[in-house]
Amino acid sequence: MTILVLCALIFGVGMYTVLTRREIIAILAGVELMLGSANVLFIALASFSGADPGVAGAIGLVILVVAAAEAAVGLALVVTLSRRSKRSSIDELTEVNG
Amino acid sequence: MTLEILAFALAALLMLGGAAVVALTKDLMRLVVGLGAFLLGVAGMFLYYGHAFLATAQVFVYVGGVLVLVVFAVMVVHRANGGRPLVTSQHDIGAAAVAFGVSGMLVMSLRESVGGWLPESGTSGSSIAQELLGGHLVAFELLGVLLLVALVAVLLIVGPGERR
Amino acid sequence: MTLLWGFLWGVAAVATIAGGAILGVWWERKVSARIQMRYGPQQIGPFGSLQMIADVPKLLFKEDIVPALADKAIFKYAPLFVFGPVAVSMVVIPFTAGWAPLNTSVGVLFFLAVPSIEVIAILLSAWASHNTLSTLGGLRATAQMISYEVPRSLAVLAIVLLAGSLRPLDVVAAWRWWWMPLTFVAFVIYFVASIAEMNRGPFDIPEAESELVAGYFADYSGMRWASFMMAEYGAMIAASLFGAALFFGGGWPFGGALGVITLIVKAILIMTAIMWVKWTFPRLRQDQLMSFCWKALTPLALVQLVVVGVVLVWL
Repeated sequence: MTILVLCALIFGVGMYTVLTRREIIAILAGVELMLGSANVLFIALASFSGADPGVAGAIGLVILVVAAAEAAVGLALVVTLSRRSKRSSIDELTEVNG
Repeated sequence: MTLEILAFALAALLMLGGAAVVALTKDLMRLVVGLGAFLLGVAGMFLYYGHAFLATAQVFVYVGGVLVLVVFAVMVVHRANGGRPLVTSQHDIGAAAVAFGVSGMLVMSLRESVGGWLPESGTSGSSIAQELLGGHLVAFELLGVLLLVALVAVLLIVGPGERR
Repeated sequence: MTLLWGFLWGVAAVATIAGGAILGVWWERKVSARIQMRYGPQQIGPFGSLQMIADVPKLLFKEDIVPALADKAIFKYAPLFVFGPVAVSMVVIPFTAGWAPLNTSVGVLFFLAVPSIEVIAILLSAWASHNTLSTLGGLRATAQMISYEVPRSLAVLAIVLLAGSLRPLDVVAAWRWWWMPLTFVAFVIYFVASIAEMNRGPFDIPEAESELVAGYFADYSGMRWASFMMAEYGAMIAASLFGAALFFGGGWPFGGALGVITLIVKAILIMTAIMWVKWTFPRLRQDQLMSFCWKALTPLALVQLVVVGVVLVWL
């Protein structure tokens, strides 16, 4: 039960970060919080349900790799965006074209 | 017995502390340190459940890779500023309600799948490799393709570098 | 009780690195002196061996300067995270056939992964100094370290493939003498990549004493600087011990206490080779360094993996 509350709480904190922060990199950090807590919760539930730990570990690894790849691409986008518009606050990045 | 409680508490504290710093701090570098603490806490949690390989992969990929990328991105984006990069936020009770409402929903829906106050720490029996290279080989290959695509995508998005 | 043992192992690891750093610095000064046709420290202690003991109080009494614009918390605690992972990575080294302080099933991966914490700590300490040259040195050091992790891991992977396990004790137990010629290229790659990982030798452009004024640790004085130095020597000792254990079979012909001594002798030979390389080759430029990693070492490591894979079919 503790692990469920912990992961759900951190998922909520991550979502709060995404909703309230105005800086793109902070928002990406919030997304990483959500993905990390979801991964831990997945592994925890697998251990509670008595599933095969090899499969649980494999799926956990898949989640980890996908989240890391997505973070890399997201950061590349942030860097290119800031080069073109010299801004990184999402309040100011409001136009789609340029 | 107490050693396990201590290990769980340490990992949980790192995760929670890191997350709190990410949500609340005004300094972008402190935010990055908070994220690093969170990622180390996740690695500790994986270790608690007996997935040693996953824990080492987490440290290798996230703390050594993604976090370095984040710091590089911060340095590139905030190069023009002299002082410390600050994070502004618009703290909002509505956002808090939505976020923690989702948390509550998660707890309510998964309540029956967990048992007991403290989870048992486990040891992983069958190995991840047997699964990934055995029945789930397609997933493994697709992961490789995904990483290759991400690598090429990053190179294409960032382009040949700035003109001076 | 287990906590106490863990704590004692931690203290032992730190003491080993501190002692190793003292002996390592002395050995390096003697080796470099002989290469440069001079004598090195001679006055204090037999053959100048107590020289470091004279240097340590000097470091302790230096003024502790924290730059005014620096981020004080990160500035003060980042060196701890540069030194810590090096000490932690030493606990999985198989000191003799059948014993390592920490016997995990993923020990090899643990040894390779823990220094990545050091990378982020170097980047943060460079940032915290808040001056352009330090930041530049930190960026170069980080780019170099994360690049050279790839060929290093691939080279170690060749040995792991032959042994069939990530547990260092299994690797030492399964080691055969004919692995030495088979994986010699892998050892050379591991050797070069480890030197680059520690920002040493011909790969020390981030420290660049004559160019960037000590680079990312320019603003650290006294004991803070000493923790960076101890991290470098500790990494050298750990990489030599690990390389001797994996590529040369640990305490190979012997077991028990004699095995530990054999391992240490092999590690000292590797360490001397590392020092020899530093004082012989001129420094590589940053772009030469990066292209050497990606265009030379990584393809070579992949070829070595293919060769090992082909040989495995015959076994």
